[in-house]
Amino acid sequence: MASATPQQQQKDAKAADQSQQPPAAAAEQQKSAAALEEDDEFEDFPVEDWEAEDTEAANGGDTQHLWEESWDDDDTSDDFSAQLREELKKVEASKKR
Amino acid sequence: MALVVEFLTNIRNAVIDLNGVELGNYLLVENDVPEIYFRLAQDLRSSFPHNGSDALKKTVDKCLPIEDAAEGKGSPWPGFQAFMTRYLEYWRDVDFDNLVSLHANLSDLHASCANAFGHPVMGVTLLQTCLSLSESMSRLVIGLTSQPELMAKIRDGSADNDPDKSLVELTAETIQKIFTSCLGDRTSGRFAPPKGKKTHVYIFANLTLRLLFACGKSRFAVQMFTNLSASGPALSLYPASQRVTFLYNLGRFYFDFDHFYRAHMCLEEAYRQCPPAFQKHRRQILTFWIPSNILLGRFPSISLLQRPEAAGFYDIFVPICAAVRAGNFLAFQAAMTHNRDWLWAKGLYVTLFTRLKQLVWRSFTRRIFLLTWQQDQTAGGGEMVNKAAVLSLDHVVTAAQYVQKLLEGYVAQRPPTPRAPPSHVSRIYLRAVSNSAAGGTEPLLLAPPAGGRPRRLMPMEGLVFGNKRPELETVEPIVANLVYAGFLNGFIARQSGRFAVEGAKKAGGNAVRAGWPGAYQSVMERFREDYEVAVQRYNAGEGEPPGEMDDVPGWVRSQGGA
Repeated sequence: MASATPQQQQKDAKAADQSQQPPAAAAEQQKSAAALEEDDEFEDFPVEDWEAEDTEAANGGDTQHLWEESWDDDDTSDDFSAQLREELKKVEASKKR
Repeated sequence: MALVVEFLTNIRNAVIDLNGVELGNYLLVENDVPEIYFRLAQDLRSSFPHNGSDALKKTVDKCLPIEDAAEGKGSPWPGFQAFMTRYLEYWRDVDFDNLVSLHANLSDLHASCANAFGHPVMGVTLLQTCLSLSESMSRLVIGLTSQPELMAKIRDGSADNDPDKSLVELTAETIQKIFTSCLGDRTSGRFAPPKGKKTHVYIFANLTLRLLFACGKSRFAVQMFTNLSASGPALSLYPASQRVTFLYNLGRFYFDFDHFYRAHMCLEEAYRQCPPAFQKHRRQILTFWIPSNILLGRFPSISLLQRPEAAGFYDIFVPICAAVRAGNFLAFQAAMTHNRDWLWAKGLYVTLFTRLKQLVWRSFTRRIFLLTWQQDQTAGGGEMVNKAAVLSLDHVVTAAQYVQKLLEGYVAQRPPTPRAPPSHVSRIYLRAVSNSAAGGTEPLLLAPPAGGRPRRLMPMEGLVFGNKRPELETVEPIVANLVYAGFLNGFIARQSGRFAVEGAKKAGGNAVRAGWPGAYQSVMERFREDYEVAVQRYNAGEGEPPGEMDDVPGWVRSQGGA
């Protein structure tokens, strides 16, 4: 008997996950999925040409503020850091013994 | 017979009048045509049955004679006669219910049209016909790619097809032949307003690219971009809809080829030139522009994600960016898995998963440095100690092994707290015991996964490769790669098994900032270095001229660079 594919397993896992969600969260997720339903194709534009003034490029639209370049995080008080800290200490201590 | 002759007479008049639009209006091929085309088909079947006779060809040659054209007028030409014969054969033999024979029939007609279009003077009258035929052919092939059994039948049944080429490739080749013919039109210069066939250069380029993307074959577009770079007209001379569509396609092409900086440049310009009213198009552009920037080490800002065309993207991309920022492989995998279907459908999943892992490793090593070096620095009751800024590779291995276990399904948990001690145990003794344990709690242990077996990881899911346990010999090259890519600033001291940060003094004593420069800054620095090497090599007489750093092959800008 062939086992389920990873994709199928993922779908099953997702379905199981969704079934345990409160209705509001599930509804929110559905809404989000609906917002993402779309065509893959880059459709033909309904008009052939337009004026440069109609675009962001002409209206002084600066695309620099759209990106965040400095995003490093120095905070090590989160749970993941705490776990790593503890593991590092534990292994260091066992080496010293 | 009478209907055939009448049809050919109308075609001849359109050719003589150089009326390409009317010719295109006559030469229809799809099944939603006026009833007269089906009567024409009937007339062809009764007057010119499929019996090997050349009667049809003779009729075409007679009705469309090659003549000396008067000034301002046109005349049929040999390639056109052959195409018209093929066109009538198409209607005689067409069976819209049999996609296999329809493909063969339409494919031959398409190729014949591309040949006739090659005529240097008269070919231009077939511009509209070439376009509508290419669109019909693209739609048919895209539809067929979802039916592999039909694809197999078509391949098996065709003696002409090169077995090494797919149907998509063969169709794309024909459209590219038309594109090349447009490109070679000499009625206007590269940087002058386009005339003749040249007006359709980017229309056919976009058509080819749409077909190739729809079938996952974008690699076949390389030659087309090379040709455009060599002799293509400036993109800025074309209508906005063609410019934006082309830049979107070019950006996607570079994304597929892991050249995220070029992808970013194309998609940025496509977005800037696409009016906000075309939300759907802007959304499609963002779908690839945002991942391109994440891969370059820049995250989308909240103001971008709040734009209407970005609806829903916050939930997809912010968790991915948060995981990269934290260097948290578990959160990264969870964020990727949560939106796997969407990312997969867009062709982003594998690229993001494999390429972003390096950035997660960057943040992961940074976090371990923060946890270990800073701790050492303040050892001894908070007094600052001037220690060398180094990251022990052993620490990285320890942390990586721990994370790998979590990825395999092990669960971090603390053993249950011991029951309350008997009343006779002194409080002073209890305090002494609890102070000796880390943090005053039981140590964190990794419990085996449910069922006792580690989860089987896909190759890209593991920290190194699937379930392979990270060891010094596998972790060291990963750190070395980070140094090579410029994400880590310093060197690996192999003998002591450490990564040593360089330039801390220059960074105002901030070893973290010195050792882990901003990711985007690192990527751009590396890109600049590669470009400078190319310039030096060229100056030394080696290699191709590198052009400008911001050049994007395939994107022909105006002479002024706009």
